[in-house]
Amino acid sequence: MKEGLRLEELGEIPFDRKEILRYAMLPSFAEMPEELPLEECLKAAEGAAKCRAVWCRYPLSREGKSLNLGFARTESRDLRKHLEGCGELLLFACTAGAETDRRIARAGLLSPAKGLLMHAIGAQQVEGGCDRLCARLAERFPDRRLTDRYSPGYGDLPLSLQRDVAEALDLGRTLGITLTDSLLMTPSKSVTAIIGLGDRETGGREE
Amino acid sequence: MTFLELLRKGPFYLDGGFGTLLQRKGLKPGEAPESWNLTHPEEVAAIHRAYYEAGSHMVATNTFGVHPQRYSLPDCEKMIRAAAACAEKARREADAGQEKFIALDVGPCGKLLKPLGPLDFEEAVRGFAEVVRIGTACGVDCIFLETMNDGAETRAALLAAKENCNLPVLVSNAYGADGKLMTGGTPSSVAAMLEGLGADAVGVNCSLGPDALAPIVEQYLEAASVPVLMKPNAGLPRDRDGKTVYDIGPEEFSRQIARLVPKGLRIMGGCCGTTPDYIRALKAATAGMKPPAIKPKDRTVVASRGRTVELGKDPVIIGERINPTGKKRLRKALEEGDMAYILNEAIAQEERGAEVLDVNVGTPGVDEAALLAQAVQELQAVTDLPLQLDTADPAAMEKALRVYNGKAMINSVNGKREVMDALFPLVRKYGGVAVALTLDENGIPATAEGRLAIAERILAEAEKYGIRRKDILFDPLTMTVSTDGLAAKVTLDALRLIREKTGCGTVLGVSNVSFGLPEREVLGSAFLTMALHSGLSAAIMNPLSDRMLGAMISYRTLTGRDDNCGAYIGFASSLPALQAVAAGPAEGVRAAAAETEEKGLRRAVAKGLCREAAKLARAALEGGQDGMDLVQREIIPALDEVGQGFESKRIFLPQLMMSAEAAEAAFREIKEKTGGQAEGREGGTPVVLATVKGDIHDIGKNIVRLLLENYGFAVTDLGKDVPPDKVLEAVERLRAPVCGLSALMTTTVPAMAETVALLHERAPWCRVMVGGAVLTEEYARQIGADGYGRDAMAAVRVAERFVQENAEKGNT
Repeated sequence: MKEGLRLEELGEIPFDRKEILRYAMLPSFAEMPEELPLEECLKAAEGAAKCRAVWCRYPLSREGKSLNLGFARTESRDLRKHLEGCGELLLFACTAGAETDRRIARAGLLSPAKGLLMHAIGAQQVEGGCDRLCARLAERFPDRRLTDRYSPGYGDLPLSLQRDVAEALDLGRTLGITLTDSLLMTPSKSVTAIIGLGDRETGGREE
Repeated sequence: MTFLELLRKGPFYLDGGFGTLLQRKGLKPGEAPESWNLTHPEEVAAIHRAYYEAGSHMVATNTFGVHPQRYSLPDCEKMIRAAAACAEKARREADAGQEKFIALDVGPCGKLLKPLGPLDFEEAVRGFAEVVRIGTACGVDCIFLETMNDGAETRAALLAAKENCNLPVLVSNAYGADGKLMTGGTPSSVAAMLEGLGADAVGVNCSLGPDALAPIVEQYLEAASVPVLMKPNAGLPRDRDGKTVYDIGPEEFSRQIARLVPKGLRIMGGCCGTTPDYIRALKAATAGMKPPAIKPKDRTVVASRGRTVELGKDPVIIGERINPTGKKRLRKALEEGDMAYILNEAIAQEERGAEVLDVNVGTPGVDEAALLAQAVQELQAVTDLPLQLDTADPAAMEKALRVYNGKAMINSVNGKREVMDALFPLVRKYGGVAVALTLDENGIPATAEGRLAIAERILAEAEKYGIRRKDILFDPLTMTVSTDGLAAKVTLDALRLIREKTGCGTVLGVSNVSFGLPEREVLGSAFLTMALHSGLSAAIMNPLSDRMLGAMISYRTLTGRDDNCGAYIGFASSLPALQAVAAGPAEGVRAAAAETEEKGLRRAVAKGLCREAAKLARAALEGGQDGMDLVQREIIPALDEVGQGFESKRIFLPQLMMSAEAAEAAFREIKEKTGGQAEGREGGTPVVLATVKGDIHDIGKNIVRLLLENYGFAVTDLGKDVPPDKVLEAVERLRAPVCGLSALMTTTVPAMAETVALLHERAPWCRVMVGGAVLTEEYARQIGADGYGRDAMAAVRVAERFVQENAEKGNT
């Protein structure tokens, strides 16, 4: 494995029904349809997702208009703002795995409503995996301030950064994540993101 | 000794890690290791040499990342040539007495194959074929496929190697901590597939340390009849002062591997974190050890991506329902390319306990070869049951065998010279278990002895191809008793005789016995029981039939194969007779509800109550109501009510979808009642739907499909990742006035624009609506679309507007 990469087995993420319904686009104040097959879908999703992640730490520097992320450069102003006050960053990828995709496909064939719910479950699982990873990272860097996660495609950070991310984290080998020509990740319930590492005491700006 | 003899003898030593050593020599993060073959050939050769001098019999070229998916062909060629030269130089200069070999190293191509990913199987094969051809021309001794974590990709690479060189091929997969490949393969399913395709050695590398990989290696030793290899990491990576270090040293590493040699491990080396020191220690720890001889495994096994089914132990259910013979609905689905119908049949059979699925898509007017291959791939995306490929067309069989991810059942060969000549080469090349019918040029012998004689001839012929006995199952042919009173008896006699004399397993399609008689399942289930009692290995049957399934489950229970009768009790409690008793009082309520059922149906649809909607629709129809009337007065108003609620954000997506499904359930009842001539919905306006090329999201498109169908459109859904010409083809064929395209990502909008332009040019009668997360009204206009659906409901409105405007145009 490449120097500096860290693998994390995140295990099974407990189902969070409230979050799942939110991902299925049912707001918390709305009535849950009586026959919505949520429990059935949870059963069908059981054991499918074992979240895994890989991460790496990089120095961060600002050079004129561009931001040197350690593994790539970008001129994204939104990311620059997000990383204000940070001298380093953590780059990570997390996936709920291929079996999750398979079960989504299967449920979608049986009924679109089940497909929707399985998508939502997959999303909750991988997001839950990211949360667990971030909690571990926060423990690992107790003296630092960690920003929220920021993904390629957010704001003006181009999706094309995915290629650099995949290369840097050796995603094919570490997590079995590959990119399509249109930069989609397979397995589909996968997330890549950047977390800024700043100084806890000052929280101040470096610029 | 030849290379293969050395492999079979063992211990045979491979090399160890490469990337780490290159990094120590100055390879920078982000720099491709294979580029060093050109820029630092001395350093690359020095690493190979160090491995030879540590005792490696074989080193693998520094070509892990070289693949046409990543580099141009000329670049691939340059890097592979340089890599082979580095290894040659090391072999020449190494101060080491053992026999020394060079393997062409082939890693994963970097893209996931269909159906989970975008890469077409044959495209993957072509890419690997290039690598193999270049490497072979450089004079390597063998091919080493390594670190692949997807069975389908491994299959593509192995097939490419087998088709493009005569060199031995060693195959090593990367397993996760759960003991499976990333895409679900298990050691036994992977070993069955790879051996079928002719791998010369199989095994595992990377991911974990030797102790953690040991259980996986043991499963390989259990399953494989070829030598097994292991190339573990030096334990797990740890962070020490910002550097990656592995937690197992050379001695411990070697001790852990050496423990597996007495169990049969004979080819060994290291992966990430290991160095020449590890190989030296490994050689020292295993010097003088002799792995036990490899025993050929005589089990008849079929496999899917991640599941193996053994035949000959417990009787196996082969689901027969994906076969258009006598099934009008399936025939129609096949003609229309309606895969969803076939996939649902598969899932229904799986849920009823089918263990293998027969797949036959032969019907007049379809391209059977293309359709069978497509069905195989789509089925394998949703079910993990092994498949029995059922076709009389050798070309269709070959196409399906190529893409089938696993070791298939091949249905069927028989004693005819022509058939054996066509099919045995395929069994030989792709692996599989052949079902052999005991008939030949002279037809079906009338006696058991006659059928046995054909079976023996078939076995003799198979042997000429090197096909092993365990990979043949015999079907002694079920004939109908209505035309010959002794037919069933002869079949059963033949079954017993063939089993005794050849030792091979047997298969029967049991349904045929009752052809032409009333209450066929009564006779069929009795015949099944008799066949099972005569030693039948697998029955091709309908698992959805309570009687047939009941006979199978009862047989298992009565022969001590059902702990505490659990399976039987589970089955019995699912029977409709028992359910009716349990549900008794509820039925009484039905009559009382009849009066209010109209309002009830509308309410049930609006509330998304599927069961109730179906029940109320049925009751209304039984009460003499007109189906069309129900649709117009009840279902459509309910859908409109919900649709408006959705548009004004009082109702949300899951609620909308449940209503759509409840409406669908009611429609199904009406359709059944009216014999398929449903309520004016058949012959609705054709709409072609697709997620555009490059995009693999389909949830939004599926929701649009459901709603459009609710509103009476005849939807042809082309699925996801659909190229523009395929959309055009469907629009032209159906002369569809409306086409809906979906794209989720900014990166796939260009493909959408291309499709819109093509449709406007070649099918000017068709109006195109688009939707998807990144699109806006403005964006839709920019790419030339005729309409934009903000959400599924809006898409329905746009389609309705198109139809209405067309009608108005037609009137003026």
